[in-house]
Amino acid sequence: MTLERRQFVTQSGSRVFRVLEENLIFVSLLAIVAFFGLISDSFLSLTTLATLFNQLPALTVVSIGMTLVLISGGIDLSVGSVVALSAGVIGAGISLFGLPLPLAACLGILAGALAGLANGGLGAYLRLPIFIVTLGMLEVARGLAYLVTDSQTVYIGAKIQAFAIPWGGSGVSASILVALTLVVAFEFVLRSTVFGRQIVAVGSNESAAEVSGIDPRRVRCTVLVISGLLAGLGGLMNAAYLGSADPNAGIGLELSAIAAAVIGGTSLMGGRGSVIGAFVGVLIVSVLQIGLAQIGITEPTKRVITGAVIILAVILDRWRA
Amino acid sequence: MTGRCPRQHGRLENLRIVTNGICKSFAAPVLRDVDLEIPPGCIHGLVGENGAGKTTLARIIVGLESADAGSLLLDGEPYRPTNTADSLGAGIAICAQELSLVDDLSIAENILLHTSTSSLARIRRKSAHETAAALLGLVGLEQTTPRTRVGRLSLAEKQLVEIAKTMATDAKLLVLDEPTSALTAPQADRLHGILRDKAREGVSVIYISHRLGDVLSVCDRVSVLRDGRVRLTEDCGTLSEKALILEMAGADADFDAPGRAAERPAPLHLAVESLRTSKLPHPISFNCRRGEILGVAGLAGSGRTELLSALFGLDKRLAGSVKIHEDGRTVEVRNPRQAIKHGIGLVAEDRSRDGVFRDQTLAFNVTVAGLGRISDRTGRLIRSKEAGAVEKLIGALRVGSNGVHQKMRELSGGNQQKSMLARWLHCGSRLLLLDEPTRGVDVAAKLAIHEELVRLRDSGITVIAVSSELEELQSLCDRILVLSKRRLVAEFHRSDWSQQRILAAAFSEFAREDTSVTVT
Repeated sequence: MTLERRQFVTQSGSRVFRVLEENLIFVSLLAIVAFFGLISDSFLSLTTLATLFNQLPALTVVSIGMTLVLISGGIDLSVGSVVALSAGVIGAGISLFGLPLPLAACLGILAGALAGLANGGLGAYLRLPIFIVTLGMLEVARGLAYLVTDSQTVYIGAKIQAFAIPWGGSGVSASILVALTLVVAFEFVLRSTVFGRQIVAVGSNESAAEVSGIDPRRVRCTVLVISGLLAGLGGLMNAAYLGSADPNAGIGLELSAIAAAVIGGTSLMGGRGSVIGAFVGVLIVSVLQIGLAQIGITEPTKRVITGAVIILAVILDRWRA
Repeated sequence: MTGRCPRQHGRLENLRIVTNGICKSFAAPVLRDVDLEIPPGCIHGLVGENGAGKTTLARIIVGLESADAGSLLLDGEPYRPTNTADSLGAGIAICAQELSLVDDLSIAENILLHTSTSSLARIRRKSAHETAAALLGLVGLEQTTPRTRVGRLSLAEKQLVEIAKTMATDAKLLVLDEPTSALTAPQADRLHGILRDKAREGVSVIYISHRLGDVLSVCDRVSVLRDGRVRLTEDCGTLSEKALILEMAGADADFDAPGRAAERPAPLHLAVESLRTSKLPHPISFNCRRGEILGVAGLAGSGRTELLSALFGLDKRLAGSVKIHEDGRTVEVRNPRQAIKHGIGLVAEDRSRDGVFRDQTLAFNVTVAGLGRISDRTGRLIRSKEAGAVEKLIGALRVGSNGVHQKMRELSGGNQQKSMLARWLHCGSRLLLLDEPTRGVDVAAKLAIHEELVRLRDSGITVIAVSSELEELQSLCDRILVLSKRRLVAEFHRSDWSQQRILAAAFSEFAREDTSVTVT
């Protein structure tokens, strides 16, 4: 009966409408860009693009990890703090211990992966509620970030900024290229590999996944390690953008990442989502922030509007499903 | 005893509860035209095989389900409960098979949950504890304080608390669904004493049980349900256990399934030796030959599902071994991944919980257990291979769908079940464990699944099938194992089985008086 109804709706709906509906998220992004382009003279400019590209990389890589975790039926609230921890490790490594940049960068990312491993071990193998485990990790990683930086912003220098500074006037930096490559790579992992299928299976029905020979604990743990690792990379990107390690970096970043994933069509119940979608979600959130600032909307109002957009996205998503 | 329950036809206002042509269907009809008349002070037994409709009838009487047709009369008045608050208000209390206790609350609080009239009523702790203590004394738990958290009690103690909770209500009709399933014989006797006292005060009781001996000793009258119909209502004095079993099995009990080739000598496929798990406390041993369809019969809760879980490596093995004989080699199974690797597939009883990914596509559902077969060595999926394999399987099994990308939730139960078979065929399973393979599918799909199982057997695949329908097992299987109270109690071959013999075996552990081993 459901089938008949669906066919009926599809037949009666116009073709244009269907195309719009299927690509709702891209259409929304274009509509937002067009809206700001129309009411602000300075919006469609290279300056806006540069601002956007500066903000983008860290949130993008963190959102990739968050999307995978959400699809597997979990959640990772610790990513914002892990970004700061990784940045702190990199900053302290370079400025206090005189490590070479590549080694310090690897240590920072490793710190992120270890935080993810702790999340995964406790959440998946000891079966503790993952919401609480990563909430604890949010505090632990933030505390560690303060400890390694002695609660101060640690200056790193120009060397690390090379990673984030755009080449020529293009606005394109190494950071943004890495982020985009990872979006494509992880979309491929999710759609076209055995591991991607396993993530969806575990998030969709854990018990059935187990009966189908998938080890749900291993899958859940692995996505949390990936999320930690990508948050570690986000720390590197954040430090590169600032030229220093800020122990207060990434506060509230987990919420932006969840918002981006959800706007991009990822279900908080697991089993459904897309990395490309999350990236478009990141673009929507970021464009909204920049655009609203440019037309002179104050910070409190900005937050009200961004929050409303997130809720709207979920309503539209439910309506589509 | 029978004297207390005179038949009072035509005087409806003198009857405590009357059910008039009650019908109820879920996927298939569960109750058909059920007529019962129970006078005050009568203990009325309800017996029948699994799925005969006993629990559904109980749930309708207390408002947990609504009947599709028919009516209820309570003390001669029309009575239409929509929830348990209605039925409680009308003076009907249920002691459900699925315990309804809250583990995190104390015994007293659990009993109170049931009796307080308003959710805002202040909880008077002292009087609650006194009431609870009195009730616990009544059911034989006088050594337990009402402050004990229910989560710490054993299953038998919980069942007693559930009974106490029912007694706390001053109901005039008690509905007890398998109240003694976890109780020892003395505990059950005590309950029966309480019930007789209640009956003397004019309370009516509906008593549902698999323990036929208990039913005959405590009840005044008993009704047998079969396929949702009342087949017999008699005073207990004139009945024997054997007569009840005969009636439960039905007149067609001795029907002979279409004959099939006699047992062919085939190599051993599966050897189970003294297998024990936490849910199967008594060692189980049996063998299964290649290309055999082995049936597993038993009442609900007899350990059938648990046996399949243990064979598949889902439940941790405490003792014994499960060995697969393949190409002359013998391998052990410890977890589902090993089971699948060695060619075992499990189609679980609860399809929606342990089988189907309802929001994913048909192709996803078919290939999920054999992703290695549609990917290259790097773990990359090969779409063309996937589509080809799935199309071939759904064609062969005649899974009705709009294509391999249709969402699973849009398929009918029968087609979902066939795609579960397709899943295991896709990953090359040679031993299929099927738990209620035709539950919740329509008749046509059921026949199609039966045909498919016979075809699979002929191609050399071994099947172990659990079913509550004896007819199904008898027409499909070469051999039937019978479980009773988590023990393997009998094995029947085509030549020596009959419904009565299988049912008698399934009930055998219930009849034993030394049921002091508490099942937990």
